[in-house]
Parts: sequence; C-alpha cells; structure tokens
Amino acid sequence: MTELRKVLKLRTVISTSAGMAIATSCYLAGLQIATVLVGELAWISVLVAGFFCLLSAMCFSELTALYPSAAGIKLFIQHAFSERVAIIIGMFYVVLGIAMVGAESYLLSSVLTSTIRLVGPVFDRYFWLFFFVFFVAYINYRGVLITGIAQDIMTYVMIAFLVGVSIYSISKNGVDVVAATHSDRFTLSNIIQAAAVGVFLFVGFEWVAPLAEETTDYKLIGRGMLWAIGILTCTYSLFTVGLYVGLTQEQIREQLSSPTPIPHIVFGRNLFGPVGGLFFVLMSILASVTSFNSGLLNTSRFSYAMARDNVLPRVFSKLHPVHASPWVSILFLSLLSAVVSLLTLLTGQYFFLIVMAAALECFIYIVAAVCVIRLRMKFPDKERSFKVPLGYTIPIVTIVVFAGLLIGLFSDATRDYEGKVLFQNYWVALAMAGFFLFTTAYTLTIVPIFKRKAEERTQARVKRRPGRA
Amino acid sequence: MATSQEILEALADYQVQCNDNKRLRKMQRDWTKLLHFIADDNDDRFTMNVVKGEIVSFESGASGTPDIVVTSRSEYLCDMFWGDLNPSQKYLQGEIRVKASQEDVMRLDAITMIIWPDA
Repeated sequence: MTELRKVLKLRTVISTSAGMAIATSCYLAGLQIATVLVGELAWISVLVAGFFCLLSAMCFSELTALYPSAAGIKLFIQHAFSERVAIIIGMFYVVLGIAMVGAESYLLSSVLTSTIRLVGPVFDRYFWLFFFVFFVAYINYRGVLITGIAQDIMTYVMIAFLVGVSIYSISKNGVDVVAATHSDRFTLSNIIQAAAVGVFLFVGFEWVAPLAEETTDYKLIGRGMLWAIGILTCTYSLFTVGLYVGLTQEQIREQLSSPTPIPHIVFGRNLFGPVGGLFFVLMSILASVTSFNSGLLNTSRFSYAMARDNVLPRVFSKLHPVHASPWVSILFLSLLSAVVSLLTLLTGQYFFLIVMAAALECFIYIVAAVCVIRLRMKFPDKERSFKVPLGYTIPIVTIVVFAGLLIGLFSDATRDYEGKVLFQNYWVALAMAGFFLFTTAYTLTIVPIFKRKAEERTQARVKRRPGRA
Repeated sequence: MATSQEILEALADYQVQCNDNKRLRKMQRDWTKLLHFIADDNDDRFTMNVVKGEIVSFESGASGTPDIVVTSRSEYLCDMFWGDLNPSQKYLQGEIRVKASQEDVMRLDAITMIIWPDA
C-alpha cells in the first residue's frame, strides 16, 4: 500500500472518536442516568451502555475494513441493500443527527448565560444560542480545520480533567455503595433503562470511520473506536458518580427541573468555588465547539456529496470561490440547527432531543449489525482486514440488544427528579417515524427526478475524450 | 481499458483546463500537493505535482511520497481527466477510491466541478 506523506496515528483516531462523543449535553445525560438508577451505582449502567456500544463498534470496524471511505456509511448500506435504502437511511441519520446540535447549543447557551451577563437573561440566552451556532458555521465556512494535534490536546485534556475532578469528588464526598444497593431504584429494569439513556453518552464515536482514508492501516479505525469506547466508559463511569455525590439532592432536583440546566457548573463551584465553575465553562465550550464543529463538518460534506450525486438539489454542491467550503450546505444545516435550538428554548424540552439522539444511535447500530450479516452473506470472500469474531453471534446480539433498548426507550416516559412525567417517549418515536417517512417519500419521488435530469444533461453533453463524441 | 498513453493525453488536457481556469486557481491558491493516480486494472501509475493550485508537472510512474492517492480503473481515470464523468458519483459507488484527508478529497472533486460544472 502506498504511504501518504501525512497519516493519522492511533492516538488521533482515538481522540477524534472520543472527542465527538464528549459534549455539554453529556453532563446532563450523566445526571439523568444517575437519577434513573441510584447515583452511587450509575457506573453500572454506564458500563452496560459502554459494553453494548463496544459490540456495535466491532460491527462498524468490520464495515470500515470493507469500505474504508468517507462515503462508508452510504457504501455499506448500498451494498448490503440498495442505493435507495442507503439514501433513505443516510439522510435520516445525518439530518436528524444535526438536530443534536440544537440540544447542544441550547445547553451551552444555558452555561454561558449563567456565567457571563451581557444585557439580561432573556437577551443573553438568545444571543449565546445564535452566536454559538453561527460561530461554528463561520469556522466551517472559512474552511478552518482542527488539526490532529489540536484534536489530541483538546480531547485528552477534557478526559484528564473529567477523570481528575471525578476522583477528587468521590474521595472528598465518599460513596456509600452498600447503602445504595438497598435503594428501591436499584432494579434490573432501571439499570437497563439508564443504560438506554447511557447510549447517548457515546453518540458520535462512529463518526471517526470517514477518517479511514487518512490512515496507513484501516485496522487503526476499528482499534481506535474500541479504545475510545473503553476510555469513554471509564471516564463517564467515574464522572456520573462524581457528579452525583458532588451535588446536593436539592441541587440535583433544581437542575433536572430547571429550564437552564448547568449541573456541571454547580458541581465545579461546589468543589473549587467560582474557579471550578469557570473551568467547567471552558470545558463546556471546548466540548461543544469540537463536537458541533465535527458534526457540521461531516454533515455539510455529506450534503455536498449527495448533491453531487444528484440526490439533493444541485445548489447544495455550491462551493465558496475562495475557501472551497460547501457554503450552501453549511448555511442550510446551520439554520436547521438554529431552528431546533430555538424550538428547544421555547419549549424547554431538551430531554426530547436527548432521547431522540439515543434512539437514533440505537437505530444506526442495528443497521450496522444487519449490514455486517448481509455483507458476509453476499460477499463471503471479500477481503476484510478486521472481522468480528464468533461468527454471527456479536452482530445478532447487537441487533437484539439495541432493538430491545429502542423498544424499551419508546415504551417508557421521560420523568423529572420527582418522577413526574415530562413526556411520553412514543412522541419521540412518532417524530422520528414522521421524518423517516419524509426521507422515504423524498427518495422515492424527488430523487428519481433529479437523477433523470442529470442523466439528460449527461446525454446532451458532448464527450470531450477523443473518439467518444 | 485505457492505455498509459491515453491517460497521459488526458492529463495534458486536464493540466491546461486547470491552469487556465482563473476561478479554480483562486480557490486552490494555497493547495500544494503531490498526487498519485493508480489504474488498478493494468497497474499503471502516474504522478502529478500541484504547486499553489497550478499543475506544474505530471509523469508516468509513481514518484515521491504523495499527499493523495487516487485508485480506479484506467477507463474511469481517463474519463475523469477529460471531464466525461462525475468523480463524486464514482466515489460514492466505491469505484474511485481515494487515500487523503477529507478536505483534499473534496478539493479534488471541486476541480472537476469548477472546470466542468455539467459533468
């Protein structure tokens, strides 16, 4: 294999995978897990969620080994099923994924409003919300990229910080595990339910797969994903417990019912005073900007490629004349995420997006496992630099586990600290089903028109290659 | 299957089209890369040197350590250099494979899109 001048190392693959998963919304999701179960034992659900995601990461590793390309997700679904199915699922996954940015910018605006006073709480809230979305959009528009070394520093600093404060909080406040095991909330059902929310903590780890083209060995991507899941599992296990014991019960109640939740800031202030809060503000900004930036970068490039493939209107393939960035795609997706953020701000239902993101991840993990099975049946002899061990066992277990979590998630309700129902989760299922129907209808009715027009243009165009006119 | 000579002729035309396009030169003004093209059906290899958006040279054979490696069938490479196929479509079908950073993959496609918007 020809070596490239610049290649990604394992540490950057790990930092990219882990960095995409660490976001401001993870702090809140961690607290949610701690209250569904028993705070001192929340690590059990995080471990379970991490183990489940590890199974899924193995499936993604095999798929990346088969299709080491930025277009991997489209390619493996297309080869396992058909191009139409690949377009439907790809669009569903990518566009709905950008909705996560809505939750992220909403939560970051809560953090900044609570720490930096500009005009007043209402104005500041709107200001930070839009500032955050359009700041990241501007970075993307200018084509500014986070280099591998910058990604390494940011991710490993965030992880070291979270592990450090968690250990400090646990050692300072103590953890009574024995008493926690006697709690009414410590049930198998709650462990699984919290694990379903726990899947949210790992959202985005698989987005490292498009970097396969930048590595010397495709196996690095698989190995990096597994390492990232392991590191995230340990970090989140410590952090959920550290966060829970580092907050008072009153603070937890307040945070989970507040329209401006900032549990990690309160946690930081409890531990180290105003300086601790400030450190967590910086961590929030770092986590949100890196994960949102990667999200927008990937989704805008996906939209660009889809437009070039005549799946989306051609306007989405417009490039900036100087920065070579797909500015129409960036603008459209930024506006979409700003609308989602605004809706979240007006309704206060940020948990709706968290549940939706967890469900979306469960869905895509099921798709990946099904693709592994289908592709093994269709192309048994095709070379795979990584193959999930134990035959079909792990893909089948992945399908069963995530289908179970998905059903469990949708049949449950989201509650606040007091157990009051905030909303029934089937509303999330209905919203997702509605969007899935939309992408299906779009693929079956609009895409063929674009494809036909493109074909007509190709036919009308005189071939330039000598002898082909 | 396209011959080595046919691909070199296509590359010569591609060089003229790229270097004469002011819009492309402006966009790629900071883009300095060494590219390898590999025809996997006949194992022909080509090297292209781009300095600040200008294709300064191309030759048969793979020389130097590349920033970008494009692998495909010789016919597709030839058609791509003549602007007769949409490289994005082939890439999304897995028929053109690229080893490079995501940004370089997009810039490579951008060249075709700017020179031949209808391809």
